[in-house]
Amino acid sequence: MIELQNVTFRYREGTAPTINDVSLLIPDGQFVGVTGAAGSGKSTLTHTLNGIVPHCYPGDFYGKVLICGSDTVDTSLTDISRMVGSVCQDVDSQMVSTVVEDEMLFGLENFGVSHDEIDARVDEALAAMGISDLRERTIAGLSGGQRQKVAVAEILALHPAVLVLDEPTAELDPVSSRSVFAQLKEYATQRGTTVVVVEQKIALLGEYADRILVLKNGAILLDGAPSEVLGHADTLLAEGINCPRSTTLVERLRRRGLHEGRAARTVDEAVDVVREVLA
Amino acid sequence: MIEFQNVSAAYEVETPAVRNASLTIADGEFVAFVGSNGAGKSTMMRLANNLLAPTEGCVLVDGVPTSELRASQLARHVGFLFQNPDRQICCDTVREELEFAFRVQGRLDARAAKLVDETIERFGFDPDAEPYLLNRGTRQLLALASVIVGEPTTLILDEPTTGLDYLECCEVMDVVSGLNQRGATVLMVCHDMELIADYAKRLVVMTAGEIIADGPTFDILRDVDVCERGNLEPPHVVAISQRLAAEDSGLAGTPLARANTLDQMLEAIDGARQTGKGNLR
Repeated sequence: MIELQNVTFRYREGTAPTINDVSLLIPDGQFVGVTGAAGSGKSTLTHTLNGIVPHCYPGDFYGKVLICGSDTVDTSLTDISRMVGSVCQDVDSQMVSTVVEDEMLFGLENFGVSHDEIDARVDEALAAMGISDLRERTIAGLSGGQRQKVAVAEILALHPAVLVLDEPTAELDPVSSRSVFAQLKEYATQRGTTVVVVEQKIALLGEYADRILVLKNGAILLDGAPSEVLGHADTLLAEGINCPRSTTLVERLRRRGLHEGRAARTVDEAVDVVREVLA
Repeated sequence: MIEFQNVSAAYEVETPAVRNASLTIADGEFVAFVGSNGAGKSTMMRLANNLLAPTEGCVLVDGVPTSELRASQLARHVGFLFQNPDRQICCDTVREELEFAFRVQGRLDARAAKLVDETIERFGFDPDAEPYLLNRGTRQLLALASVIVGEPTTLILDEPTTGLDYLECCEVMDVVSGLNQRGATVLMVCHDMELIADYAKRLVVMTAGEIIADGPTFDILRDVDVCERGNLEPPHVVAISQRLAAEDSGLAGTPLARANTLDQMLEAIDGARQTGKGNLR
């Protein structure tokens, strides 16, 4: 369980709080998508979950963040990182090795995972991301998207209770983006892992997340199931979030009085609505 | 005009990033390079600007092999926007950043100063602002502005909208689209199929270093086999249209089966409702 109690954080050089009085309860195993305009506080919210805030970034921190019952202020970054696996927005800042396999081993060895188990963990995580063939490759020779998959795989190998990912598909092709979300969802469902993922591709959140949070100026603007949040197309657009075209099509049909149901999240749902309209 | 003649390139000897690629991009085209990660798209961009030399074959810009052009000569004609603006921005103020290319090329004259002033005004920049204190979207716009201020005839964009929200993304793409309409050639690597459908006129699809398809945007996006091989997903409206047509053979050839954009789809639905033609069985 993740619990945020009236959390406010202002970077030392900032004039306004980047996170502003956020209270939030995320039950174990929930897959939560976070989106919002640039500067809305998405990345900073993830930093409050993985302990970077308040442990690393100087600033004013108020409120309380509880991860699996532990207050992040009273828990060392090392102990937080055993519970919360993080994938940074800039994956290159996360890489420490020159070869993929060494990169995979870094976290496992530092966490003291037994040697008997390490190989299986590496195999499983690489396979989960569909990059088993990259194991021997140098990281410098990988494309941006391949490096992004390595960054996710090395965190999956650590089996964290909570996964926090900041735009993990930013550099991925469409099919790989979908497969990352499908694999994350499957992985999280199997292990009961809580996932908090910042993502601009709202179509992916609409399809895979159990819940979507939309941030504005560091506060929660919308919070609900995907079909509920996507129903606020105008609010989303005003915040720099473009709904999936399936959602927009169905919304236009609704405005013409041709559809009364809930917002469509996917191509399949939009096809069903068009079929109804033309029946 | 940019020509790739049987071009191969590699970062690691045993793993070619581009294999035997040949294509010609005419002046004023808007071409998007798409395909799976590691397919060689960014490598093609670097080859076009001679940031990377081919191991085989030849890249020609306006008929001249890039190997015969100095970086400064090429830079006047071919502007390159990196995916990450922080790899590009190197000055202490917005004005210095915009003047940078002129300065290193020894062209910081009255005309350059005028172009810089016009760019500052057009983008609404604070000329004295420190680039690294700007937000990501504004830094990307600054990086784009610093490329186009020199009025290159060709613009190369490597995933220019990654990490931007939709409004920032539209701002960047509207600038690029405006340049294209005024005659600039645009080569763009992009994974956002909706954005590609909105802006690109031609798609080059790459897989494992090879060009597997090259043609008008919606012809490619409607080619199921190419999309599968290139790890592409058609934009939602195309997918909806294809799904409807696949489920009802009576729709073949109707506007519903051809709709590529939201407006076309709504028009097709209206038409089908009014005429009864294309109504789903």
